[in-house]
Amino acid sequence: MSDRSALPRAPEPPATRLRLVPLLEPRQRTPERLRVGIYVASLLTATLLSIILLALAGVPPGDLGREIATTAFSSPRALGSVLAQTAPMVVAGLATAIAFRANFWNIGLEGQMILGAIFASSVAIWNIGPETMRLPLMALAACAGGMLWIAGPLVLKLRLGVNEVITTLLLNYVAFNLLLHLLYGPWKDPVSAFPHTEQYEAFERLPMIGWQNLTWALPLSGLLALLLWWIYSASRAGYLIDLMRSNATMARAVGVPVLGLSVASILGSGAVGGLTGFAISAGIEGRMTQDFFVGYLFSGVLIAFLGRTHPIGVVVVAFLMAVLMLVGQSLQVFFQVPFALVQLVQAIFIVCVAGSEFFLTYRMHWRSAA
Amino acid sequence: MTEFLLNWLVNIPGFAVPFALAALGLIISEKAGVLNLAAEGFMLAGALAGVGLMIHGAAPLTALAGSVLAGVAMGLLFAVMAASLRINHVISGLALVFFAGALTSYIASAERWTNKAIPGLEPILFGQDILVYATPVLCALTVWMLTRTRFGLTLRAVGENPSAADAAGIDVTATRFAAILLGAGLIGLAGGYLTVAVSHIWVDSVVGGRGWIAIALVIFARWHPWRAVLGAVLFGCIEALIPRVAAAGIDIPKYFLQMTPYLATLGVMVWAALRGTDRWSQPAALGHHHIREERS
Repeated sequence: MSDRSALPRAPEPPATRLRLVPLLEPRQRTPERLRVGIYVASLLTATLLSIILLALAGVPPGDLGREIATTAFSSPRALGSVLAQTAPMVVAGLATAIAFRANFWNIGLEGQMILGAIFASSVAIWNIGPETMRLPLMALAACAGGMLWIAGPLVLKLRLGVNEVITTLLLNYVAFNLLLHLLYGPWKDPVSAFPHTEQYEAFERLPMIGWQNLTWALPLSGLLALLLWWIYSASRAGYLIDLMRSNATMARAVGVPVLGLSVASILGSGAVGGLTGFAISAGIEGRMTQDFFVGYLFSGVLIAFLGRTHPIGVVVVAFLMAVLMLVGQSLQVFFQVPFALVQLVQAIFIVCVAGSEFFLTYRMHWRSAA
Repeated sequence: MTEFLLNWLVNIPGFAVPFALAALGLIISEKAGVLNLAAEGFMLAGALAGVGLMIHGAAPLTALAGSVLAGVAMGLLFAVMAASLRINHVISGLALVFFAGALTSYIASAERWTNKAIPGLEPILFGQDILVYATPVLCALTVWMLTRTRFGLTLRAVGENPSAADAAGIDVTATRFAAILLGAGLIGLAGGYLTVAVSHIWVDSVVGGRGWIAIALVIFARWHPWRAVLGAVLFGCIEALIPRVAAAGIDIPKYFLQMTPYLATLGVMVWAALRGTDRWSQPAALGHHHIREERS
C-alpha cells in the first residue's frame, strides 16, 4: 500500500506572518465614566502636545507655568484682565453652541459679530432714541444685525438644503468688506481719520461694575449662560431640541415642531453672535474697529466644541481660553514667539478632542487575519 | 475699450487656474464619498510651502512640487481623521482648516516669510505660464482616471455605495485614503500657484476663502471635472475684472467690488440647489462613513 509519508505535506503556516486586523464595533451605548475618561485623556494629550510645541518654540515648560500663574492669578488686576477677556468669549461660545445644538453648523460668527457691531454703531452714530435707552437699543440692534446675517443661510438650508458651512462662512467675507467700506468711507473717525468709528458716548458704553476694569458684559454674559442652561436642562423646548438633535426624523414623526425649533435656535445663534460684536464694541473698545472680530470664529467653535455645547461648559472653557489669550500676549512680549502659537494650541485641542470621538463611537478588536 | 478687454482677458487664466486645480482635487476626494471641507487648509499649506521654497532659492517648478507635497502632508492628517478614525467629515474638515491656518501663520511669522516678495513663474507661451496649459491636461487626466481606469471605478464605487464596494472586495478605507491624498496634492498645487504665480508674496489672508469657493464650484459643477473648469473660468473672469474696473475709473466702491466673488459663489450655490440632478450628480455616500460591522 502507499506510504503515508510520501503524501505531500500541507505547508505549515509561517508563525511569523501573523497579521492583526482591526475590527470596529460601534458602541451601543457609552457609559458616562468612559465618556468623561476619554474626554479628559484627549485634553491631557492636547496639553502635553502643546507644552512640547511651546518648548520647541523656545518657551521652557517651567517658564510657561510661571507665565500662566502670573498672567492670570497673581493679582486682582491680572484676574480682572482675564475676566474682562472672558465675557466676549462666553458670548461667542454660546452663539456657536446654540447653533451646534440644533445641528446647524454656524461658521459665520465673525460675520454676525460684524453686522451686530455695525447695527449697534448705527444706533450710536445716528443718535437713535433717548440717552437712557441708548444701550438697550444698541443691544437689540446688534441682535437684529446678527439675525439678519444668519437668515440667508437659514432659509437656504431649510428650504433648499444648501450646506450652511459654506454659506455662513462666505458671508464672513462679505461682512468684512462691508465693515471696511464703512470704516474707510462714511464712518471713518472724523477726529483722528483712523479707520474706526468715533468714540461711543459714555452712555453708549457698558457701565463698569466697580471692580477692576470689569464692565457689565461679564455678569450679563453669565446671566445669558444661566438662561440657556435653564432652557436646555429644565424647559420643554430644551428637551425637544435635544430630541431633535439626536434624531430629527423620529422627532418629527412624534410631533415635535422641528421646523420652529430649528428656526428659533438658528436665529438665536445669530442674535447672540450679533451680541458678541456689541459686547466687544460697547464693552471693551468703546467703538467699532476694523479688526475687533479677528479670531473669534475659531475661538467660538473651539469653546462650543470643548464645552460640549453645554452652557456651563462653555463658560468654563471660555475662561480658560481667555487665560490662553493673555498668556499668548505675554509670551509674545517676553519670549518673542508669534501670537499664532495661541491659535496653533487651540487647533491642537480641536484635533485631539475631535479625534477622541473615535474612541467614544467605536470599540476596537484586533483579530488575526490568517 | 479694446485695451480694457485685452487686459481683462490675459488676466483671466491666472485667476482661474487655482479654482480649477482645487476643484479637480475636491472632485477626486468627493467622488470617493469624502465630504472635503478642508480645501482652504490644503491651499494654505501649498501656498506657504511655495513661498518658503522660493525664498530659499528653489526654482518655481520645484517650489510648486513642494506645494503638492505640503498639500499631501495636510491631506494625511485629514485622511487619518476622516477615513481611518471615521470622525464626522464636517468636524474633520473644520479642524483641519483651523489647524492649517494656525500652522501656516505661525511658520510664516517665525521664519519671517510674511510680506517678502518672491520671483514668479515665467510665462512660456502667449504670456501665460506652464500651469495654465497644464490645467486642461490635468482635467482630462482626472476624467480619464475616474471613468476609464480600474482605480477610478473603485473610487466611484466607494463614493456611491461603500457597502457594496466592500462586499466586492474593495478596501473602502484605503481607497478613500488614496483619494484624499491625491486630491490634497492637487489642492496644494492650487495654493502654491496662488503665491508662486499670482501674488508673489505671502500674507496670512492670501488664500482668502478660495478653498471655500472651490467647494461651492464643485457643487455648482455637479462633480463634473470639465464643468468645474468652466466654473473656474467664470470665477476667474470675476476676479480678473475687479482690479480692471478700478483701473478703468468706473466708480463702484472698492469693497463692494471685492465682495463679488463671495456673492457670486452664494448665487451659484442657490442656482445649483434649484436645479435637478443628473448622471454626474452628488455621490450617494458623500459624507457617510462605512463600518462593515454596522448595519446600514
